[in-house]
Amino acid sequence: MNTIIEPFKIKSVEPIFFTTKEERIAILRKANYNPFLIPAKDVLIDLLTDSGTSAMSSDQWAGIMKGDESYAGSESFFRFEETIKNITGMPIVIPTHQGRAAEKILFNIIGGKGKFIVSNTLFDTTRANIEFSGAEGIDLLCEEGKHPCVPAAFKGNMDVEAFKKFIREKGAGNIPLCILTITNNSGGGQPVSMQNVKEVKQVCMENNIPLFLDACRFAENSYFIKLREEGYANRSVEEIAQELFSYADGCTMSAKKDAFANIGGFLAMQDEQLAKKCRNLLIITEGFPTYGGLAGRDLEAISIGLKEVMMEDYLRYRIRSIEYLTNKLMAAGVPVMQPAGGHAAYIDAKEFLPHIPVEQYPGQALVAALYVEGGIRSVEIGSLMFGKYDGEGKLIPAQMELVRLAIPRRVYTQSHIDYVAEVIIETFKKRKEIKGLQIIEEAEILRHFTVQLKESNDEVPSCPECLFIKQFV
Amino acid sequence: MKKKIKRSWAEPYKMKMVELLKMTTPSQRKKALDEAGYNTFLLRSEDVYIDLLTDSGTSAMSDRQWAGMMLGDEAYAGSRNFYHLEETIQSIYGYKYVIPTHQGRGAENILSHILIKKGDIIPGNMYFTTTRLHQELAGGKFEDIIIDEAHDPENEHPFKGNVDLDKLDKLIKKYGANKIPYVSIATSVNMAGGQPISMQNLRELRTLTRKHNIRIIHDMTRVAENAYFIQQRENGYENKKVKEIIKEICSLTDGATMSAKKDALVNIGGFLAVNDWDVFEEARNLVVVYEGLHTYGGLAGRDMEAMAIGIHESVSDDHIRARVGQVIYLGEQMIHYGVPIVKPIGGHGIFVDAKKFLPHLPQDSFPAQTLAA
Repeated sequence: MNTIIEPFKIKSVEPIFFTTKEERIAILRKANYNPFLIPAKDVLIDLLTDSGTSAMSSDQWAGIMKGDESYAGSESFFRFEETIKNITGMPIVIPTHQGRAAEKILFNIIGGKGKFIVSNTLFDTTRANIEFSGAEGIDLLCEEGKHPCVPAAFKGNMDVEAFKKFIREKGAGNIPLCILTITNNSGGGQPVSMQNVKEVKQVCMENNIPLFLDACRFAENSYFIKLREEGYANRSVEEIAQELFSYADGCTMSAKKDAFANIGGFLAMQDEQLAKKCRNLLIITEGFPTYGGLAGRDLEAISIGLKEVMMEDYLRYRIRSIEYLTNKLMAAGVPVMQPAGGHAAYIDAKEFLPHIPVEQYPGQALVAALYVEGGIRSVEIGSLMFGKYDGEGKLIPAQMELVRLAIPRRVYTQSHIDYVAEVIIETFKKRKEIKGLQIIEEAEILRHFTVQLKESNDEVPSCPECLFIKQFV
Repeated sequence: MKKKIKRSWAEPYKMKMVELLKMTTPSQRKKALDEAGYNTFLLRSEDVYIDLLTDSGTSAMSDRQWAGMMLGDEAYAGSRNFYHLEETIQSIYGYKYVIPTHQGRGAENILSHILIKKGDIIPGNMYFTTTRLHQELAGGKFEDIIIDEAHDPENEHPFKGNVDLDKLDKLIKKYGANKIPYVSIATSVNMAGGQPISMQNLRELRTLTRKHNIRIIHDMTRVAENAYFIQQRENGYENKKVKEIIKEICSLTDGATMSAKKDALVNIGGFLAVNDWDVFEEARNLVVVYEGLHTYGGLAGRDMEAMAIGIHESVSDDHIRARVGQVIYLGEQMIHYGVPIVKPIGGHGIFVDAKKFLPHLPQDSFPAQTLAA
């Protein structure tokens, strides 16, 4: 049997609403071409993120009803703690309200001016938290990871030679942490190989640098290792995950991804000294150490979700369904990131819209076009998200201009995905009509969440919401 | 003969779902307490029969709130539940701009970052642990301006949460108004025993602060309980609805932080609400770093929905009468049996005066902790 079907059926549905193209044009203008500012009810297929948008299982919902809401010593916490200890092998588990809070606490402690946090590729909020602490985030992605259309098995790998070179240049003392993002979200949801993790660990050990994992999508990464790396075909995903974590000194995780939760995250680590500092900060911004800013029911849902995500039937379906969309697009000539990643299909917007210069944000222009064409909400991962300005205010573009179509877990059916492919292919046929964009207003950090744009030859729209971000230039 | 304590109210709801409790024996409890090092925070909830550790996040939600949980719109941006919550806060409390946060301390953190500069003074009607910590971390210094009566457990002043305006005036003269970014006002002051502030006092405070151009930031986690005490005790409010009183309280302040885990009857959630566009604008940029995008603030969509519904339910007179009534019922029983408690009885808890309860214990052997154990 070639068809890979979902290892679950639908138990509860949520209606979605259709809009006309004219309505969508008006909505997009009102949102100033920023998909983050479009009300969810006006989106037909929401591929903005796979974060917190999963459909929970009936078991998880039962867990929600079982949540022990005691402020201290909740039973739900003990179940949560045990599950995570078992997967990560780490003795200390600290819940947080989501992944960025775990990052915030970690980098607040180990970051600071003059320090460098090295990674394969840091994701947006991770980078923001590092920079907020005064430290600098350094991406050292392997060469094959930088070319969207060149297939390779482990495009999320870190460039180990570059890492060694970086240590020689800056000194190990200025590098308080190395963090590997598994899978590599900004680089196309591409996996990191076990071999690479081992090599990075070796370098870290020689230089006394702790290694952490940004483990949001650890199960997807583990499954890729099972499929692609020699010697792992007969190991269970759980064993692979345990091995991955065994090389790390700690991890941060947003449970909104591979734990199918709508909210939640955690920090886990080996070092009790570091944990003490983390808990002190936790109480200030998150909550008491046995709930960390989460309801008891959320701890329960995460704990159940972490077990469900490692089921191979699920992961086979998950990875295959991303591949399905990617292959459909490829067959129609749409330039996509290859091979398919674990949680999203990524369109190479530079190739898709060669007539739009990077200063006019081709990725964002494509995001806008997909919304207008079919009510699909996607997200730019390119110069709008990661671009910076030099001293003269000129854009320093990001390495790649990607549009991410993140597929929420267990949410959309194959017909939804077929529709998405159709909309993209239709848009591809009309790509020459798509116009570039320019920024009207933006924030200093994480600008993509609130940025305001317009078509590059449009009048500035007079919308009251435009007022809300610091004036750019 | 024992005097019967009269109950003239009953709960305006019935139980729809129950959670089973484990019964323990004294020897099991002794063991559990030993293992927890006599720290009640370290007890496993399983080993607790009646859990009165906190009223925060421990409410039973209504069937409507649970139904709202099923209506959670978990979209990362622009969730319907956010708009419902925003509209609810605007209509019930009257603040203009709303930012959800994962709980109250999230809102305090953001607000302190924005408003407080190093060396600033933050006067308030008694400190609360997390609030003061955030003020200090932002470089400010807390100054207590609550009336002296608040520090006397025996004093039966009806509004022990009131501000001593002279104390504030002295602070303004000493440091200058420009060193005081805002006055932090809690309704139903937790550390004073759940004691309310009067509308009259708040109005006078408003006049004084307006003269000096100082903001009032409202720690509104138990505003409904405070409003109920105003209705019961303050002249001119006996015929007003709790809902109207709440709106009047909020109208005398410039912004608020809220832990929705208390009055708003949810297990998780909070918000920051302000009337000032500039503060809102900055908060919206900061919330992304600490909490989440400004249309979810680190909460699941379902939690925003439960909060919106909970806010509506929490401002009804029947609800709050039963709520405070239960506390007062317990307090009166204790007074009746001669247990020394903080008076008058507060809105959300009974505060036992452990020094009087265990007079044979010196303070350095922690009489209150001993009593809790």
